Amino acid sequence: MSKFVDRPRYLCALSGAIGTINALPGGVPILHAAAGCGGNIGNALNAGAGYLGSGYCSGQSLPSSNVYENEIVFGGELRLQEQVENTLKVIDGELYFVVTGCMVEMIGDDTNSVVKKFKNHDKPVLSAETGGFKGNSYKGYDIILETLFREFVKKTDEKNSKVVNLWGIVPVQDVFWKGNIKILKTLIEKLGYKVNTFFGDGETLDNLRDSGEAILNIVVSDIYGIEPAKVFEEEHNVPYISVQFPIGTYATEDFINAIADRLGIDKKFTDKLIYDEKKQFYSYFERLADIYNDIDLQRYAVIVGEVNYAQALTKFLADDLGWLPELVVITDLLNDTDGYKDIIKSRFTNYISEFTPNVVFDTDTSSVKKHLNKIWKQNDGSKYYDGFNPAFILGSAFERDLADDLGVPHLSVTYPISNRIVLDRAYAGFNGALSLTEDILSVLVNGR
Amino acid sequence: MSKKLKQIAIYGKGGIGKSTTTSNISAALSTLGYKVMQFGCDPKSDSTNTLRDGKYIPTVLDTLREKNVVKAHEVIFEGFNGIHCVEAGGPAPGVGCAGRGIITAVQLFKQQKIFEELDLDYVIYDVLGDVVCGGFAVPIREGIAEHVFTVSSADFMAIYAANNLFKGIKKYSNSGGALLGGVIANSINAPYAKEIIDDFVKQTSTQVVEYVPRSVTVTQSELQGKTTIEAAPKSEQAKIYKTLAEKIANHEESKIPSPLEVSELREWATKWGDYLLALETGEISTKAVGNL
Repeated sequence: MSKFVDRPRYLCALSGAIGTINALPGGVPILHAAAGCGGNIGNALNAGAGYLGSGYCSGQSLPSSNVYENEIVFGGELRLQEQVENTLKVIDGELYFVVTGCMVEMIGDDTNSVVKKFKNHDKPVLSAETGGFKGNSYKGYDIILETLFREFVKKTDEKNSKVVNLWGIVPVQDVFWKGNIKILKTLIEKLGYKVNTFFGDGETLDNLRDSGEAILNIVVSDIYGIEPAKVFEEEHNVPYISVQFPIGTYATEDFINAIADRLGIDKKFTDKLIYDEKKQFYSYFERLADIYNDIDLQRYAVIVGEVNYAQALTKFLADDLGWLPELVVITDLLNDTDGYKDIIKSRFTNYISEFTPNVVFDTDTSSVKKHLNKIWKQNDGSKYYDGFNPAFILGSAFERDLADDLGVPHLSVTYPISNRIVLDRAYAGFNGALSLTEDILSVLVNGR
Repeated sequence: MSKKLKQIAIYGKGGIGKSTTTSNISAALSTLGYKVMQFGCDPKSDSTNTLRDGKYIPTVLDTLREKNVVKAHEVIFEGFNGIHCVEAGGPAPGVGCAGRGIITAVQLFKQQKIFEELDLDYVIYDVLGDVVCGGFAVPIREGIAEHVFTVSSADFMAIYAANNLFKGIKKYSNSGGALLGGVIANSINAPYAKEIIDDFVKQTSTQVVEYVPRSVTVTQSELQGKTTIEAAPKSEQAKIYKTLAEKIANHEESKIPSPLEVSELREWATKWGDYLLALETGEISTKAVGNL
């Protein structure tokens, strides 16, 4: 028996698919769905991701078969065929991707067979069954990657020992995805490798097509992109490792070491890179020493976010910034059978600072306050009360209510972020940690 | 050389004898030494009944309803002679969407690559009679069944239904889906029945794979909850089912069907109506059916 999710931080599988395709260079999604799906999804993807915008043909311009009752009763394949034909004529794309909504999946439209008719078009036309009910945005991301790996990436036995692929940072769901990908890509390039991320600046579909030549796939997540990695391994014989999304010095050092280790890079080289990066990082970070101590910028914190960000932010706050992230609420929809919860919980142990946060899994926005009350003794009217202050809430725009309630400052860093504009800002790695520090502490010195 | 899996779908008017025929084909193939899976695609979930002593097995969809994730092995049950029995299942009559249910059940098996794992020779999809929406056509989509056989008697309604099915099959055949292997003529007892069915397949550019008469042996076996192959292996009827199974095993070339237009079908029916009337009044006589 399932319950409802109070203010989910994701959308349906179809949205994740659309967000992912839009992030591909020249990717054009074509929806085969009821009228309305596209519009609603377009709005959520735009406004929730720091105002992503409609781009060339997204938002309200998303090509869609817009099926009505007629198509539901008599089948929508002819409508889809017409829609694809017209889209190919009117929209200038490099890769067209037909994705399906719930209704056409229910009536059993054979989308694949319609799309196959376009296989001789000069640009590739792919299709994937992404009926919203299949899961949330992350599922959509996985489905699109799996389809690309099966049908678009060229099969090759010749591997290039200096090429790796990197994914797991989900476009739109990670609002800072573009900047984050850039930072992590640069770090690995410094290790001497060419990195395909599929969504990064300056990358092309040819990069994606040739990515089968990589010797390793790096999945920057415990759960997102893992199924596609298995498909990549099956189809193209390329193994993968899963590493945690890094924010801050300790996490990024672990990130680099894990990858370098797997690639067999000389430890001296890796150590030098980490040393140089840290040197630069601290040359900025040390500026905080004065103000941090003078006006005591240490805070209790509550972190609300998804799997990737929750562990990254908590570790950064505890180990780099010296804060006390007492409560972490992980908002992903996870079932208990896959064993992921234990793996994810283990990411919150063995901190350098020896801090131990309280980690809970809860999809509901309104539950955060309840969890806080559980772990922090409430004021029962006694003379001396150790309040949960001064505190800070690091979450999404939804957490503003909680912050107002507790009377504490807040910063939106996880989806949805409607109260900030995000362009190429990044929070990953060393440089990203500097930006995050700026953003968080600026809120605290706001009144000066 | 790796074994090639043959996937077959059986369609036909509701009540015409698909499940009976399919179960007997499965049973016969298994006695010939093949590894067979029978996949029932009907919310009634009664396709594999006679392979399991009349007992119903838990369906894929019922199991999915209880648990979010289902491993295919949990819903495969062993029947007569090691046949793997699966029932897609579906909603109760009057609710939900059975078509979507079929899609979900079939795709579950496809994703988990069960057929390779079990090293099957044959997968036979027994699909419910009234193919009312896209979901019921999933077994004949590309990548699933390669051959479709329609079960039909010589009654006009069954032929009409078969002709209608040909329209649906034609749509999928044209885009890489299953092709029509032929008609399994069921309940063929009267002499003229064979002639009617022969003429129908001639008009629609297909063939009759086998003529199966109505037989009390089948009724008796079913009432015992068994196939004729199991309950009466030495009977005449069992021999016919075995021949049918062999023909299907050796069948290679299927085609795109040519269904008749409604008016053509009407004209065809009228012609036969006149002929049967003439027979009755003794104007014409006809030779007996071969395998009675």
